[in-house]
This record gives sequence, structure tokens and C-alpha cells, in this order.
Amino acid sequence: MNRPVYIGAEYLCTPLGRGAKENFAQLLLGHSAVRPVANAGFNQETLHLGAFAQPCSFDELIGDAFANLDIDPELLTSPKTRVMLSTTKGDLTNGIEGAMQRAMESVQRHSRSFHPPLVFSNACITGVSVLNKAAEYIAAGLCEHVIVVGCDVLSPFVIYGFQSLFAIADGRCKPYDAHRSGINLGEACGAIVLSASRSIFAEPPLIHAGGSVTNDANHISGPSRTGEGLHRSITQILLKKNINLNKASYTCAHGTATRFNDDMESVAFTRSKLSEIPVNSLKAYFGHTLGAAGVIETAMAMQSLRQDIIPATLGYETPGTAEPLNVIRENLATQLEFVLKTASGFGGGNASLLLTRS
Amino acid sequence: MNQPSKPSQLSKLSPLSKPSPPSKPLNVRITNTGVYLNGRLLLPITADDSLTAIYRHLETDYPKFHKMDELSKSAFLGVELLKAHDPLLSTYNEDKVSLLFCNCSSCDSSDLKFEQSYAVNGSASPSHFVYTLPNIMMGEVAIRNKWYGEQQFLFQPAPDFTVIAENLVLLFNNGAEACIFAWVDIREKRDVFFVLLTPQHDIPSLASALEKLYITTHD
Repeated sequence: MNRPVYIGAEYLCTPLGRGAKENFAQLLLGHSAVRPVANAGFNQETLHLGAFAQPCSFDELIGDAFANLDIDPELLTSPKTRVMLSTTKGDLTNGIEGAMQRAMESVQRHSRSFHPPLVFSNACITGVSVLNKAAEYIAAGLCEHVIVVGCDVLSPFVIYGFQSLFAIADGRCKPYDAHRSGINLGEACGAIVLSASRSIFAEPPLIHAGGSVTNDANHISGPSRTGEGLHRSITQILLKKNINLNKASYTCAHGTATRFNDDMESVAFTRSKLSEIPVNSLKAYFGHTLGAAGVIETAMAMQSLRQDIIPATLGYETPGTAEPLNVIRENLATQLEFVLKTASGFGGGNASLLLTRS
Repeated sequence: MNQPSKPSQLSKLSPLSKPSPPSKPLNVRITNTGVYLNGRLLLPITADDSLTAIYRHLETDYPKFHKMDELSKSAFLGVELLKAHDPLLSTYNEDKVSLLFCNCSSCDSSDLKFEQSYAVNGSASPSHFVYTLPNIMMGEVAIRNKWYGEQQFLFQPAPDFTVIAENLVLLFNNGAEACIFAWVDIREKRDVFFVLLTPQHDIPSLASALEKLYITTHD
């Protein structure tokens, strides 16, 4: 990374509202998108989902993101700009087949980008891994600006799948809590702009200070008990940047509220000597939004850094992870220098990125 | 490749089974009719049960193979074939082997199987669901080889070698000692193409080199 990579203009559209500031305000109020939805399950059972009140299509969400992105519209169509999409399933409106192709066309149509969008799909880590790839494109001089958009919508396909794995929570999820019982699925869209130039941002940007993507090499649908990939990913960033995360740091973790994921993270954070610094999970606010998760949660982490406040881990009451963590229970006002965002997912993937002030 | 006789047979077919000269990276193609190594026919196959035939040819003992979906089987075999013809691939730092896999149909075949399990057969199948992400095949390769390095799945309507080369350059920038690029598509017909690259290869000319390899080995 030879030149600084600025990151800003974060935008989200979630069931909690439109805009990063608006969503962040909702988190600080303890409001959640997760609500009981009747007949959502395979056997018509009620499930807790982070669902829009009115069903929203993939294409509508992508359209909303590009319509509301706070950057010069000329930047979108510039040959110096790339657009990258993070999604796990794409646009399922007209069925499973060709969903990725439709997703790509949707992004191309709404962004009017000069280059075809790059569509990455690395399961639950995609949002974070694409933000890293965007930063690498800029640092290597392959382009000047990248618009990263992350989007996934709820579908019977994904809901029934997680039900078949017995991974869905009974009520609203409880990340890191002793009584956690699984995840809530959710839907959302988020967009973040990365650039070599700070002057393109209306509001002063932050800095993408490093990223890493690794694999557990352990299991396709369960995390490593030793937190192998996540530990390696975090260590690679901190070693490469020679950064020691101190008290002015916070980890915005994955925290899906499954027993295995949260235990794995507690082990990985402890091995990485991060068990003392504040950590939270935003999953009880939004649910697990899959390909959007890394983007919308990074957008919220950016708001934390801008406003020096860490939202409480909604749903967390009783410590219950394999290794103790400093899980934030109440909103915490504290001066922040670094925020570490992590994600882990199916296929054994792990991704981390580090944000700081510019 | 446990039998000593086979590599020597293969070396007649492949001048690249010694350390690869920088200009032409080791590559493997698997189609409905055969396995090709650096463009030359290594193993003719028939459409029926052809992936299992390649598995048997490799004389590999990895029972998990039989549980995989077809994408993962193809990915597994592609990497095993590269390893069989470049032993160096098994010697790189475990954190520094990176994968870039692409295709034009994601994991549609496995998606349809899972959809059928709940829509037609009346019960959502977890063993099908876990293969309904296109990056899973890279996870299988990581597990098999204990590779902890970066993995990226990129969806493309057709191979865009400029973008592919950009992403390979970035993987090397991140410290990779070896990168495996693969186009793994099985939706309409089997189109599986694996290339092993190291930083010694001519990165600036990578796009045209890969495109040439892909086209010249295409049947």
C-alpha cells in the first residue's frame, strides 16, 4: 500500500431506515430491525427476521443506494472508477438461476459505471473482503475510486437453508451471550466509497489502514475451534502495519450469535491479544444480512469512529463465550483511533480491515 | 500420483513437469471429453461419471471427495492435477497460496438441487445447502491442502482476463508465493481451467498470456 486510501460517503438502506447517520442513531436508541414474521419458516412457523416492512427487491435496493450516494454523479461514470458488488445470492426475484447475472446487471444499470461491476461472492465475509479489494485496487494504482455496494435480500431459499442447519435463533439473537441460540437472518443494502483523493468526499473521509483475507482450512460450514483463520487475518494486518491496538481501539466483530461462531471469535481475539479492547456485534440490530453485512457493519463502525461512540451489543447480558471478551453492554462514549472490523463465514473464510482517522 | 511410473509417462506429454519456465504457466483443463495438461490430452473421459474417473486416475485417497458437489469435485481435481505435475505446489508457505476462482453461473446447479429438496422432496437438505455458495469449492481445496491464504470468488459472465490479471497481481502484492487461477463452470458444459502462477511469471503480460492459454486449450 503506497498511498493512503480514503473511505467515506457510507450509505445504508435497512429496515431501520435510510442513511448511515440515521441508522447509527437507531442503534444508539437500541432499536432493532429484527421482528417476528409470521409463516416465514419451512413449516409456516414465525421467525425473527431483520425484514423490511414492505418487501423490497434486490434491484430496488441497488437503485436506492446509487440514487442516494453522496458523491459527484460524474464520478460514477468515470473510467477512473470501479464498482464492486458484494453479494452471496444475488437477485433472486426471478428464481435462483442467473441470480448473479441479474445482480450484476442491476448494479451496472443503476451505477452507469464505465467498467462492468466486479461481483465478488465469498459468503459472509464478502463485504469486508470486497472493501479490502477496493483499497488494494486504489493502493496499486489500478483505479482512483471504488464504489463498494453490498446487498442481499431475504428469501425462502436462505431461510430454509439456515433452518436445515438448526442455526436460527428462537427470538431476537443474543451475540456472545450464554443463552444465545443462533442467528436472525436479515436483509439490507449498503454502499461505501473508497478513493485515492480526499477531496471527492463531502464529509471528511476516514482511512482504510489495512486488510487481510484468510481461510481456516478446517471445515466448509463450521468455524475453526482454534480461531485459526481469524487469528491469522488479524495478525497479518497488525504485523504488516506494525500497529498495536490500544485502548483507543474497538473491534466491530461478526458475532452471529451461534455458539460455534462466537466461541471461535473469543478464541481468535484472545490469541490475537484483543480480548481487553471493547468488542460488539451489530447482528441483533440488523440480523445477519450476509453479503451486505460486512458493508453495513463497516459503515456503522465508520460512524463509531466519526462520533466516538460504540453502540451496545444488543441482546448481550450474560458472558458466555469460550474465552472472556470485553463485550460492550451499554453504548460507550470513548475516543477512538482505530476500529477493527472482522467477519467469518461459510467456506472457512475470514476477513479483517482496519479503519482510522485521516 | 502415488505410482512412480505415472509421472514419467506424464513428463513425456508435458515439458513443463520440471519447474515451469516463466512464460507458460502449468495449466489443466477438464472438459466433458478429457483432461488436458498444457493443452495436451492427458486422459480421455466419457460423460458418465467422468469426475470419478479422474479421481481414480489420480489414485488419491480422500473419501470426502465423494460427498462434494460437482463444482467442488472439479476444483479438487484441478488442484490435485496441478500438484501432480508441479511438486513445488505442495511446498509453499501455507499462508501464501492464494486462490482466484471465477465462473459465469455461480453455484446454480447446487442451488437447484437444494431448492428441489424443499420444494419437491419436502425437506430442506443441509448437505445440499452447504454447497449453495460459490466460494465453498475453494474452502474444500483449503481443507484438503491446509492452505490458509486468501481466496476470492469472482462472478463473470465470460472470462475477463484483464480483470482476472488485475486480481492476480493484487494477490501477489499481498505476498502470495503461488496463485491458482481457476475458471470452474459446469452449468451448460464442463468448462474447467486451472493455471498455477508464481511471482516469476510475467505479470504485466498476464492478461494476454492467460487468455491465449484459455483459448488454445479450449475444445
